[in-house]
Amino acid sequence: MIRTVKPKNARAKRALEKKEAKIVENVKQALFIPGQTSNKVLHDVMVDLSSLKKPNMKRFNKKNNIRPFEDASNLEFLSEKNDCSLMVLSSSSKKRKNNLTFIRTFGYKIYDMIELQIAENFKLLSDFRKETFTVGLKPMMIFQGSAFDTDPVFMHVKSLFMDFFRGEVTTLQDVSGLQHIISVTIAGDYQDGEPLPNVLFRVYKLKTYRSEQGGRKLPRVELNETGPRLDFKIGRIQTPTPDMVKEAMKRPKQLDIKMKKNVELDSMGDKFGRIHMGKQELQNLQTRKMKGLKSKFDQTGADESDNEIANDDDDDESFVTADDIEPATKKQKH
Amino acid sequence: MASNDYKSLPVTVEKPIPVTYDLGNLSVFDSNVLDRNDFDSSNAKREEHLRNLTRDNAQLLINQLLSLPIKSTTDAAGGTSGQSSTMSLLRLPEPMSELPREKPLPKPKAPTKWEKFAAKKGIKAKEKSGKMVFDEASGEWVPKWGYKGANKKLDDQWLVEVDDKVENTDKELIDPRTLNRQERMKLIKKNERQQKKNSRNA
Repeated sequence: MIRTVKPKNARAKRALEKKEAKIVENVKQALFIPGQTSNKVLHDVMVDLSSLKKPNMKRFNKKNNIRPFEDASNLEFLSEKNDCSLMVLSSSSKKRKNNLTFIRTFGYKIYDMIELQIAENFKLLSDFRKETFTVGLKPMMIFQGSAFDTDPVFMHVKSLFMDFFRGEVTTLQDVSGLQHIISVTIAGDYQDGEPLPNVLFRVYKLKTYRSEQGGRKLPRVELNETGPRLDFKIGRIQTPTPDMVKEAMKRPKQLDIKMKKNVELDSMGDKFGRIHMGKQELQNLQTRKMKGLKSKFDQTGADESDNEIANDDDDDESFVTADDIEPATKKQKH
Repeated sequence: MASNDYKSLPVTVEKPIPVTYDLGNLSVFDSNVLDRNDFDSSNAKREEHLRNLTRDNAQLLINQLLSLPIKSTTDAAGGTSGQSSTMSLLRLPEPMSELPREKPLPKPKAPTKWEKFAAKKGIKAKEKSGKMVFDEASGEWVPKWGYKGANKKLDDQWLVEVDDKVENTDKELIDPRTLNRQERMKLIKKNERQQKKNSRNA
């Protein structure tokens, strides 16, 4: 644990607020750590991978003596210190040559780890000498192979690469920002019991051409490989505990769209609302107020009604106004 | 190849098993059969094969993405250049793939001692009446507290009435002006104490 004190100034306070757990999270930051046995190849590969992850990354220059599968406390410390939840540690040994360990953390604790060893036929960004991708764009990702949906190891790989490179989660994507493609392919299908095939990691740049068949809207797509080209052999794996998975997959309730009561959309996309009215009391309905309809003029007995009519006649004779005419006409209707 | 050569090429791709999309993450998942020999490192056409496979899926993905609803804006996203250019933005759906969060969900703030008590008793929050009050004597609106606040009225009076309670006791000689100030300071101290206690309990 890193000792945290109450921030004394506004800048420190803002920095701490940035690190806090949020409902909508920051983009996951990646930390590239050279291990004690790192070499030139691994360094170059890490530079290339980090350039794919720019600007959401940090890369260390000094070697660190960390063995993640033996003692992960150092990694947890670095994760918290740098506020990075994705880590890549490089190491090379006789048994595991050119090995990259991809580590994910959840709440600064190790979530899962996987070792991916780089096969000999790798090619770096500089080997292609073509145009590269623009920094900071959201890549498109293609996962090829049925095992990505069935085999837990490959599901781990898929989840890792998506988490690693997907960048910011947005609802709006600029069309001109669709530029490069990360393709992750399983090298062929396999039966149970066979050794796991390699995972082929490729990065392509997208080229689009106007096509007659697609009309104005759909272009013909072509790809240029930009590198890095890496073939990963899967090594050791550490899976997350079920408790941690449950905790990490929780969705905040605040983000759920609340269903509005009594509002429906039909199949045409038209909006319908149902409203509930109280019972209409027609007896107590307030109609237009008129002098002639006052309760004192109610005709309850025969003798009273005679008087009333006589009164009305008197009114008419003395002076005639618009107000007086109206009640008279209404009375005829009744 | 010149760009004319692409005109006759198809923009649709047929797959035995239809691919699945996660457009919120700009991703496509192809679970069709992959032949092991195609990807053998001794195969000379390996990279070409891989690129063609990826191209087909990329075409499918681009077709899906471009058929999403488009929102056009006339202002550039940065807006620093001062030039107005149109941008067409795709409206992406929510990401579907479940990925672990970076940190646990933020915990709701712990209720203070007063909030607990109010909830138990069913006391609703008082409606805000505003900070300013009308001072009848001067005919001006003054703040209830703070600089030139209404609660400091007593402090600068040249003549103050002696309270009936303290009359003819030993407290009679204490200046009521300082007493008023002391009371206010006591309230502030009390509030600070409560705040500290609440933050300790949280």
